[in-house]
Amino acid sequence: MNSSQLDTISVKTSDNVTLGYSVAGLGSRLVAQILDNLLAVPITLVAILLFSAVVGIFVTGADGAGYAAVGAGFFAFFVYFGYFFVAEAVTGGRTPGKSAMGLRVIRIDGSAADFAAIAVRNVIRIVDVLVVLIGIVVMFFQPQTRRLGDLGAGTIVVRDRAAVSLAAAVAPPPILLRTPDSGPPIDGLDRIGGFERDALRVFLSRPGLSPKLRADLAADIAKRLLDRLGLPPGAPERLWPPELFIERIYLQLDQRHP
Amino acid sequence: MSLDAFIAERQGRWGALEAAIKAAKRGRLRNQSANDIERFGLLLRQTSSDLAIARRDHPDAPITEYLNTLCARAHPLLYRGNAWRLGAIGPFFATALPRSFRAAWPFMVASLALMAIGFIAGWLAVDLRPDLRVSLVPPSLFDEMARGQIGTGVQDAPVVGLDIIQNNIRVALICFAGGILLGIPTAFVLLSNGWMLGTVAAAVQLGGYDYQFWSLIVPHGVLELSVIVISGGTGLMLGNAILRPGQLRRGEALARVAVRAVLLALGVASLLIIAGTLEAFVSPSSLPDPVKLAVGAGVGLLLYSWLLLAGRTPQPGRAFAFDRPAETPA
Repeated sequence: MNSSQLDTISVKTSDNVTLGYSVAGLGSRLVAQILDNLLAVPITLVAILLFSAVVGIFVTGADGAGYAAVGAGFFAFFVYFGYFFVAEAVTGGRTPGKSAMGLRVIRIDGSAADFAAIAVRNVIRIVDVLVVLIGIVVMFFQPQTRRLGDLGAGTIVVRDRAAVSLAAAVAPPPILLRTPDSGPPIDGLDRIGGFERDALRVFLSRPGLSPKLRADLAADIAKRLLDRLGLPPGAPERLWPPELFIERIYLQLDQRHP
Repeated sequence: MSLDAFIAERQGRWGALEAAIKAAKRGRLRNQSANDIERFGLLLRQTSSDLAIARRDHPDAPITEYLNTLCARAHPLLYRGNAWRLGAIGPFFATALPRSFRAAWPFMVASLALMAIGFIAGWLAVDLRPDLRVSLVPPSLFDEMARGQIGTGVQDAPVVGLDIIQNNIRVALICFAGGILLGIPTAFVLLSNGWMLGTVAAAVQLGGYDYQFWSLIVPHGVLELSVIVISGGTGLMLGNAILRPGQLRRGEALARVAVRAVLLALGVASLLIIAGTLEAFVSPSSLPDPVKLAVGAGVGLLLYSWLLLAGRTPQPGRAFAFDRPAETPA
């Protein structure tokens, strides 16, 4: 989690731990918006029909019918924008569309979006949508994909889904060994601690290294290991190639502390 | 501690925190017992300290990414502003709204000034160029006045009232939202509303219908124009925060002002329901003109005594720190 990355924001908590939030991109936000519209537009249409039916009871003349039609237009405005307001207020910043895309509105300080913040971003939504969709333009140029309503409310839309499951994070990555043979015992392995062992595991589980690079890295690591073990430099070349040397050390460590 | 030992020792609490996040409904912990919430806090603090350790010792391990996501998801569940409650509406209107109105007085004055500029400009336009009167003022108004049709009630008043209420609330919301565009749309709404009122008022004055005209405007107009001025003021607050952020960054200054201003804007916008009802049922009614003017004066008196006087008495125990008597050492 690097705070200089554009697609994450860093929030320092009261425990003085920095949390990285992954910022939702333009694409996922637009898809969430489309999904919400699949709900908001039918709701608005039904509301117009209900409005016309109820108001029609009070209409007595041609003028009244005209007023009722104008009123239905206003009503559509309130129901459409009201959908997003109510949906965000009720779900704590996860409208059905956002929820489906694994998105959530939070405040820029990492706390939950409260009623006032949701009110601001949803009243300003009127400008974001009705002024030539300026919200999308702003989101395009804003590094954290915030629209005007987000800027006004101090909110940001982040990914709310677990990126890695505990099981996947805990499972050790496969170790890429050339041979399962741990070879003859090596002296001085007690001097190699947990950190070195983790480093070896990271090296051995790293896929996609070119053979040349892997050999170079292995030579460098082997030199440091020899230093730690108190063996003279150049020893592994005499014993085995550095890569094999590292593998055998790792296997022997693994046998000691499985 | 090696990565394996670290994970083996602590993964139990991570799983527990994950389960607690899943148990939170609608992004809230509200449905949980006090004990569960306390446990949630403990688990989050423990896990975030695990995150700090993991980031120091194993920055590239997948578990670090996992712990970050876990804490990031749990954090907003625990850290949040005041919850919205139905019971908070009463105190909000009784004290919070008038207080935030008074605190924002320079913007209210500025907003009123913009509307007044529009009014004066409109008045002068009609006064200096009577030949333009026809294009500035809808002629139907004069026809109706000449025929004495105004003041005999409007057909379908409930339907008309609903239109008026909805339109005005929409305008009030646009006044606030326009603040985000430096308040330019807000200023435009204020100027144009003043202009319309100014042109019509001048035309009516020149035509000699003034008393009848004011009886048509005043009953609802006092409330309606006040609300437009106040919501215009909230929009100007946003524009000002962007243009003159002071010691803060622009975004931060804007967000701080906006979350206060939005409640004021929404609160006063709700008054437009009263204004629209008056506009549909009282203003065009056949009530005698003095009664209509008295309704307007009464509404105005109520509105401004509420905005200027409510919530002035500080609540006991809420004194500022510097009001407290100095402690005497024993």
